[in-house]
Amino acid sequence: MSADRDPLPGQGGQEHPERPGADPRDTEPAAGEPEADVERRLSPLSVVTTAITYARSAVVPVLVALVAGDFNPWVLGGTVATAVLLIVSGLVRYLTVRYLVTEERLEIRSGLVSRSRRAVPLERIRGVDVTSTLLHRVFGLAVVRIDAAGGGALQQEEAKLDAVTAAEAERLRAELLRRRSLLVDREEDAGPEDEQGGQERPEAATADTVHFRMPPRWYAYAVLSPGYLLTPFAVLATLFGFLNQFVDSEALGDYLIERADTIQRFLVSQWGTLVVAAAGAVALLLVAMPLFAVASYMINQWRFTLRRSGDSLVTERGLFTRHSVTLEYRRIHGHELRDNPVQRLGSLVRLSAVVTGLGETATRAALLPLGPRAEVERIVARALRPFEGRLAAHPAAARSRRLFRAVVPPLAGAVLAAALGWSWAAGALLLLALLGVPLGLDRYRSLGHGYDGQQVSVRSGSLRRTQATVARSAVIGWRWRQTLFQRRAGLATLKVTVGAGRGGYDAVDVDFAESVAFAGGVTPELVAPFLVDGRAGRSAADG
Amino acid sequence: MWLWTVTDAIGAVVIVAGLALGAWAVDSFRWSWLPGWAVDGVWLVPAAVGVYSLVELVVAPRWRYRVHRWEVTGDVVYTRKGWLSRTWQLVPVTRIQTVDHTQGWLERLFGLATLKIQTASHAGSSTIEGLPEEQARRLSEELAARAGELRDDAT
Repeated sequence: MSADRDPLPGQGGQEHPERPGADPRDTEPAAGEPEADVERRLSPLSVVTTAITYARSAVVPVLVALVAGDFNPWVLGGTVATAVLLIVSGLVRYLTVRYLVTEERLEIRSGLVSRSRRAVPLERIRGVDVTSTLLHRVFGLAVVRIDAAGGGALQQEEAKLDAVTAAEAERLRAELLRRRSLLVDREEDAGPEDEQGGQERPEAATADTVHFRMPPRWYAYAVLSPGYLLTPFAVLATLFGFLNQFVDSEALGDYLIERADTIQRFLVSQWGTLVVAAAGAVALLLVAMPLFAVASYMINQWRFTLRRSGDSLVTERGLFTRHSVTLEYRRIHGHELRDNPVQRLGSLVRLSAVVTGLGETATRAALLPLGPRAEVERIVARALRPFEGRLAAHPAAARSRRLFRAVVPPLAGAVLAAALGWSWAAGALLLLALLGVPLGLDRYRSLGHGYDGQQVSVRSGSLRRTQATVARSAVIGWRWRQTLFQRRAGLATLKVTVGAGRGGYDAVDVDFAESVAFAGGVTPELVAPFLVDGRAGRSAADG
Repeated sequence: MWLWTVTDAIGAVVIVAGLALGAWAVDSFRWSWLPGWAVDGVWLVPAAVGVYSLVELVVAPRWRYRVHRWEVTGDVVYTRKGWLSRTWQLVPVTRIQTVDHTQGWLERLFGLATLKIQTASHAGSSTIEGLPEEQARRLSEELAARAGELRDDAT
């Protein structure tokens, strides 16, 4: 690997043989699998899709110009020229973009005038996503997006192939991941055996196993997802924004002022009708909310499938735009179960994976949509590894702290508001403080941490309760934080740092001494050296 | 410790100056929407903050200095810092990805340096502030070397 060709810095220390040849056109296919080392192009149909995608953003202004310009030849000519230009640029892209999978990297060349070449080393690839919008699906195409680790610790790089045929996308995905794992295995055989296995593979199957296919009943759970319930409002907002662009609001205002008398008379005479209309609108909204929610949920999560393909988990979802996300087992270090109080009543949870390199893009790490807990746990048991231990409750001092934090701020606000004579605000804040009591208690109830010999699990939160379970081998450090108040209560917040997912998971308000023992139990080699000198002395000093 | 004092002092001076400016503005314009007592008492705010930061300036750096500890055993870097709220951090050397050795202009003045130890998790990265320059350099080299030695494909 010659350094000048490698766009990713910090790649030293890879002992791969030098690949001869500066120009990939001259390179011989590497020995082994010659048929796969052929340089490939995008699908010819991508010319059409790219042109349409570009044209879509221009279609409204162009139409407006055409109508406003009375189809005069200049505008007409310009439009035709633009269309031709779009097609030509699509054609150029098709002709110039080429990609090649070798044993060590993926190379993408592009550009007519300014040429660029990207080489993504295969072992840096963290995931291959296949997306196809409705447009792409009409033509049987798909966009392949390749996520790769960048030079820095947290940087991401992305390569995109827009667009190849659906079959080719699938082939490419399988090919990239297969070659990648070959490469990594070879490296690992050479190097010392590491414990980075993360989630051990539950079974040694290589064939595809479908773990989950969305049953129709699950779409109804959209009603319990707050995000989807708000969609009617989002739609309304967009509509208003859209209308705003066409209607001159100033003119409308003038018009209304002119007709103020008429409007007033109308209001007085038709008061009853207006109330009915308003009530009707509210009712409509109430009916529309769940309907919209289910509809948009269906569009997003349509036929959600979770399957195992080789050494990775693949999720697929979407009605119009089909998203397919591939998560490799060796990048999955655990899972997260999330719910809120309403969902808890129906015992529903949402499952996502704790994955290296996806950062905070939670939607891509999603493994299952909202579903019944028992079923989700069954799937976890099959596809990943369930947490088998018991979560230890946190000390009673944690309960008073949760209560204090839920009740006192609104209470203080209420007192302040009362002192200032704002009785409305005081009342509302008082109500909030009262609601804080069950909230604080529930927050305490959901606190917990545990270790089952393989995985660490922590749980916290009430309105958004999260239980994160990560493999022991993924734990890359510990961090305790203790505020002044926590110190008095002998508590601390222990953060399990993990090089995946959100980077760390908190066990809030654990007993300090107990948490040190807990951490020591999970990773003795990390904590033990300090227990004698540093830690023991430290705990004593803090008492 | 003196570095912290100076840094805090600069921060405090800036904040007090900003507040004083705000107070002056209130005092000179006497906006009508502000209640009378707020305008009259406005100078109390920067004064109170000033007194508080003076006290903090004396106490906090010493306190922080007493809390501030770091230790490197063969495989683990352990740091402790903070004053009112404290943070303990354990970072295994095997998981270290980069060791940054930085020096601000103030730090240069005092001949000190800061070590940033980064792992794959942003939450799992720790910093050691106020090391003597020579020691910081030696430590960073040592850590980098050890991390390279012990490296597994930690991500």
